[in-house]
Amino acid sequence: MRCFALLCFGWLAALGAAEAPASAETAYARGDYARAVELWSEEILADGATAGRLAALGNAEWRLGRKGRAVLCWERALLIDPRDPVALAGLRHGLDVGGVDRPKPTAAEEYAAFLTADLWLLLAVGSFWTAVLCVAVPRLRGRAAGEVNQWTRVGALTVLALSVPGLWGGRSLDARAVVRRPETSLRLTPTRDGEPLRGVAEGDVVRTERMLNGHVRVRTADGKTGWVRAGEIEGVRGPGLPADLDQKAAP
Amino acid sequence: MLCLGLLARAEDRVSWEITPRVTAPGQPFRLQIMVESDVVLGGAQFISREIKPPRGMALRLSGQLIRPGSNEATFNFSGVAPEQNGEHVIPSFTLRFTRKAVVVPEIRLRVSDQVAYRRETQARAELVLPDRVFYVGELIRGAIRMRGGEDEAVVASYGLESLAEGFSMTVTAERQAMPDALGQGLQTTFDLTPLREGEGEFSLNGIMLVQSGESGVFSQNGRDRPFAFRRRLTVAHVPERGRPPEWNGAIGRFVAEGLQVSKDNPEVGEPIRLRAILTGEGNLDRILPPELRGDETWDVLPANERRRRAEDQRMFVYTLVPRLPGRLRTPAVRLAAFDPATKTFSKLEFAPLEITVTGNAPAQVDLVTADPAAPAATTLKPVTGLAAPQPGRSPGLFAGSPQGTLGDAAGFWSANAVALGLVVVATAVTGVLGYLAAHPEIRRRRRARAVMRAALAEAAACQDRRDAHGFAVAVVRGLQAGVAARLAAEEQAMTQSDVERVLPGADRARLDRLFLRAHADRFAPAGPRGADDGAAEDLALLRQLLSLS
Repeated sequence: MRCFALLCFGWLAALGAAEAPASAETAYARGDYARAVELWSEEILADGATAGRLAALGNAEWRLGRKGRAVLCWERALLIDPRDPVALAGLRHGLDVGGVDRPKPTAAEEYAAFLTADLWLLLAVGSFWTAVLCVAVPRLRGRAAGEVNQWTRVGALTVLALSVPGLWGGRSLDARAVVRRPETSLRLTPTRDGEPLRGVAEGDVVRTERMLNGHVRVRTADGKTGWVRAGEIEGVRGPGLPADLDQKAAP
Repeated sequence: MLCLGLLARAEDRVSWEITPRVTAPGQPFRLQIMVESDVVLGGAQFISREIKPPRGMALRLSGQLIRPGSNEATFNFSGVAPEQNGEHVIPSFTLRFTRKAVVVPEIRLRVSDQVAYRRETQARAELVLPDRVFYVGELIRGAIRMRGGEDEAVVASYGLESLAEGFSMTVTAERQAMPDALGQGLQTTFDLTPLREGEGEFSLNGIMLVQSGESGVFSQNGRDRPFAFRRRLTVAHVPERGRPPEWNGAIGRFVAEGLQVSKDNPEVGEPIRLRAILTGEGNLDRILPPELRGDETWDVLPANERRRRAEDQRMFVYTLVPRLPGRLRTPAVRLAAFDPATKTFSKLEFAPLEITVTGNAPAQVDLVTADPAAPAATTLKPVTGLAAPQPGRSPGLFAGSPQGTLGDAAGFWSANAVALGLVVVATAVTGVLGYLAAHPEIRRRRRARAVMRAALAEAAACQDRRDAHGFAVAVVRGLQAGVAARLAAEEQAMTQSDVERVLPGADRARLDRLFLRAHADRFAPAGPRGADDGAAEDLALLRQLLSLS
């Protein structure tokens, strides 16, 4: 329930988000991308992650040549707002001229990208409860269901059926990760000495499958599968800011 | 005279004998040292450590005889004479016993090639090592051949010791059977690598076990026979004169077997593996991989390499990433080797492979074909580039969260499951109650069954206390309740005729008597009461009705 409350708070905060301070945008405009990254990161830490902030942060990271962080910011921005123009433009730019690979979305993923994952879930749960109550309430009252009840029931079941592929696509979109290390090899086996099959570039988006021995089995945009170390990729789902891979773990 | 006698006894007497007295070069001999002292000697210690045979002579303690409480000791040594003619001296040394140290004087062995001796008859050890100048980093293959003779066979060897100053030595195979062409025997092979320039002493010694069917001093079954080799080796650096720039430390004779690629038709940007296989005799392990530099067609990445020692192969592995599409030739892999036998350098080059690279270059420049007849701008190029940041943009009513979905929230699914369970339970209870309301006979029959069971119990109790009236009242009440439930009527209104309707085989006279006995006191004082003979039949009637309900 606490998480639910936090999510609600996040929505409300996003709705009432004030205009961002101009300092980060100013720094970005004058080419001080490092400063812009710093300021937007502070904003995200202080006020929460929004699609606009993450997309802007992604732009600044891209300008600094940090492809992995940039692509991760854009992907996370799209999780918040699947139609964020800045993040979409950034990803398109990365795919077209930036040498970044991203798996082509499946039909379910394209369908799911129409709404956010939370909204798909709310639709599914709401329609489900509507249908259940439409069945249960007349029985509890001991009366026959009226015409309105019947139409409501049909409508709710239709929405439920339509939201199932959205939920499925959202789940598939969540099972992706961004390559964070510049020299990452796709390995044949999930071991330290696993034979490198091919390289994947920083910023490439891969589909993640299962974990084993500190490695994750991934499928690249061109369908090649292999294992990478868990620390070489970062899941699209995660806290707002990309992880700092250079930071040493606490003893 | 007595003092002289005592003094004379106080001296230790040491004598030695070599058999044969004069040996041929390389001929085995036996040395026996006999010690007689004036005191009990006790056990001897560190014999082998004290005795220092001269250069080229192999000598090993083969047995000692020291009786407890005795002042005499005998030591037997097996030896092989040096190859050089002349007198060879074993320096004086000390035999250390538990109670005394006895000095053994110099022992002299005469070697002469005038002695009739056929080497082929007896087992012997030979050192196989090239006789030339060696080079730092070179791999020198050597061997000790322990060859059997006409009268002796080598069956085992042990105790190999080596001293190689400025060399790294590795035994590669021990006690292997010798090739048939070399006759019976064993051989131990080793690799020697000079580590520094200059002259160094290399010595090897060990023991072989020889067997012979004949009897005699040197041909007893299962004798040990030592061997010792000592060589001075000269080591130099590979000459700088004529040394090619691509020489990477290869010394020996090598062959460039060829190149292999992991994929013949990769896409642009797809890494492939290039393997260069080098074979031959020499220091394969010490060769630095030839450097491959990337160019406009290939990116070269470092890769792990593997060595197949059993096949005397070295595999240099590179990861190549094609930059451009088309038919490309792999980068040339070149190296140079120094042949220590001819003291010359030779160049090796792996023949490049032709690879067909598919796909498009990431940063390929679009070629514009001008067709005057074509309409302008028929195909739109995708608009790329970063959009201007809008950090204050509001996403709309429902914004997602990058961290997790609503479904990941604790309690979301459990709360939904609990609510669904409550709805299902409430609906089920409502349905059951509605069904019972629609079918009142269910409750009526259930109540009738309870009344009949109670009536049966009460009737049985009355029968026990011989209360005929009470018995009749209980049975009639049960019959009325059961029949009323079946006929959907009031219990009090049920008569004998109603019972007959439900139980067609019932005895009407018995029913009349039963009802009369039960209800007679309503209309007149009760008559004399006694036990009824048909009580069992009455109870059976009630039970029959109970089973019907």
